[in-house]
Amino acid sequence: MTAHDYWVLSPAIAMALLALVTVSVDLVTRSMAKVSTVAFLGLSAPLILTLNLWFGWFGDPATAREATGVADLGSALFGTVETDRFALFFDFLLLTVTAGTILASAKYIASERMKDYGGEFVSLVLLSVTGMIVLVSATELITIYVALELTALPVVALAAIHRSKQGVESGTKFFVLSAISSAILLYGFAYIYGFTGSTNLAVIMERLTVLPNDAGVPFGSYAVLLAVIMIVAGFGFKMAVVPWQMWVPDVYQGAPTPVVAFLSVASKAAAFAVIMRIMYVAFGDPALMQDWSGLFAILAAVTMTLGNTLALSQSNIKRLLGYSTIAQAGYILVGVASVPANQVGATFAGAGPQGVMYYLAGYAFTNLAVFFAVIAITSRTNDDSIEGLNGLLKRSPLLAGVLVFGLLSLLGMPPTVGFMAKVVVFGSAINANLTWLAVVGVVNTVIAAYYYLRVIRAIVFEDAEDETKFSADKPVLVAAGVAAIGAGVFGLAPFLLLEFAEQALSILPAIVTGL
Amino acid sequence: MFEDYFRQYALLIIFAAAAVTVPIGMLTMSYLAQFIKVRPSRPTAVKESAYEGGMPPFSSRPARFNFRYYYYALLFVVFDVETVFLFPWAVKYGVMSQQFGFAALGAVFIFLIVVTVGYAYAWRKQALEWVTNDDRS
Repeated sequence: MTAHDYWVLSPAIAMALLALVTVSVDLVTRSMAKVSTVAFLGLSAPLILTLNLWFGWFGDPATAREATGVADLGSALFGTVETDRFALFFDFLLLTVTAGTILASAKYIASERMKDYGGEFVSLVLLSVTGMIVLVSATELITIYVALELTALPVVALAAIHRSKQGVESGTKFFVLSAISSAILLYGFAYIYGFTGSTNLAVIMERLTVLPNDAGVPFGSYAVLLAVIMIVAGFGFKMAVVPWQMWVPDVYQGAPTPVVAFLSVASKAAAFAVIMRIMYVAFGDPALMQDWSGLFAILAAVTMTLGNTLALSQSNIKRLLGYSTIAQAGYILVGVASVPANQVGATFAGAGPQGVMYYLAGYAFTNLAVFFAVIAITSRTNDDSIEGLNGLLKRSPLLAGVLVFGLLSLLGMPPTVGFMAKVVVFGSAINANLTWLAVVGVVNTVIAAYYYLRVIRAIVFEDAEDETKFSADKPVLVAAGVAAIGAGVFGLAPFLLLEFAEQALSILPAIVTGL
Repeated sequence: MFEDYFRQYALLIIFAAAAVTVPIGMLTMSYLAQFIKVRPSRPTAVKESAYEGGMPPFSSRPARFNFRYYYYALLFVVFDVETVFLFPWAVKYGVMSQQFGFAALGAVFIFLIVVTVGYAYAWRKQALEWVTNDDRS
């Protein structure tokens, strides 16, 4: 490694070191308050390094590349990792989610059943984020695989951190399914390597355009078709997309709620980031785009419909949110399917990827607000059924407000970020000649209204058996409040995120060359 | 060309045949040797007992051993892998230090710090204690 490599990888290195520091603080002080504080304040180190790479405060590689036009200045470790603006956008998102998770779990890790494992809890979250930071900047298949494993394994331990029957069940399920999906993914990678002779995404793209094509076969070859299906299946598990969604409700119900909040937002964002990078960099040829666009469109339609339909009959709030995240993954997939190549006079403005990035960021704030409110409520009521939320408005107006706002945003009510995100994503689908998919999406939003509004009805209109008032612990309340405010602000001023996303996309090489 | 190809399989078959005949031949010779009084067979209770380092055996059943061994197995693997990583680094250090300078030394120290934190963790979490607080209580 040269000094330049350290520089490019600096956010990931800082995050890994922070994980080590956190676990050391736990070993020395045995104080969970100190662990949370160190982890939360320590997150400023990767944040500053990420900001530096974006703005080039200290003469960073990414900016130098723009100025000089030398292509590989931004990449490190023999071109396996590239911290471009696309990666940095997701770094910011992941750091925000991590900060929220640590804040919201401060009280949880200090609780009686967790205080022996609190340091491990925070450290494992940080290690998983390290994997995600590498994952979103990986430009090579083997690096992607290794980063993916680093992302998944800490979450397995986190899901099973309570030695309860449910915890072990959810951990085991997650582990086995994660291993199977990794195997499928690797098989797909092996086909790609066998066909093109390279694991580097940009080189794969070059070779795919040169190699002879069979006319009439999607992707020009059955081997590549099979590989793409396997890769999508492998990441489909992480994105919680139908038909790879079976683990979601069980894991969401069994795992500790802060873990679920982290899992539902961070892993999903990282998986969507890497699938977009693979698709646009390795399969970014306009002819190939058309082929995988159809694949994602079908997945999106099935995922939305099944997620929403299954959510209708849920009585447990965590299971309901599990199915809700499946449906949300379907909406995001609409954006992945809306490729610019389908457009007349294709440009990137208003195309799918920008919508995906906006949706993911908005969804992160919204979902965190909902989950943090649920953490705050269930830690007091010890009841995670929907009836347990009855009359919440009288018992804890502030938490009820945050929860209702978050649910309205998930549903897609204006002026929340959920509404604007759906507008952008469905709009990009219409731009990409996928009007039928936008219609399916809108119909699904109506179906989703039933179960989101059912929860809101319980909160606002039902009477509680136990009328005692309660309020939340400060850190989790702050986290939920900030997330809700974020969801509101980005809903009212979508251009803040959209411009940010557009800048991030301008750096993806294949998008520029492929059009 | 095909002849060459199958000739390679012939080598494999010869090797497999040798691998089977040699042990069978040795056992058969040993069996036949007892008829000419070279290898008399006089079994006794002591001869047929399990061999336990020359001591009289304590029990004949497969012994139970403490599950805690797995901590040691895990720690052993970690530190063994550490050594395996250090050897190639040490051998190639001269070349690397010319190319990368101080970074060649720094990289391995980062690695060592990571392993040391793991060691401190195991120590502090009583993974190295044979009798833990759980047993005492």
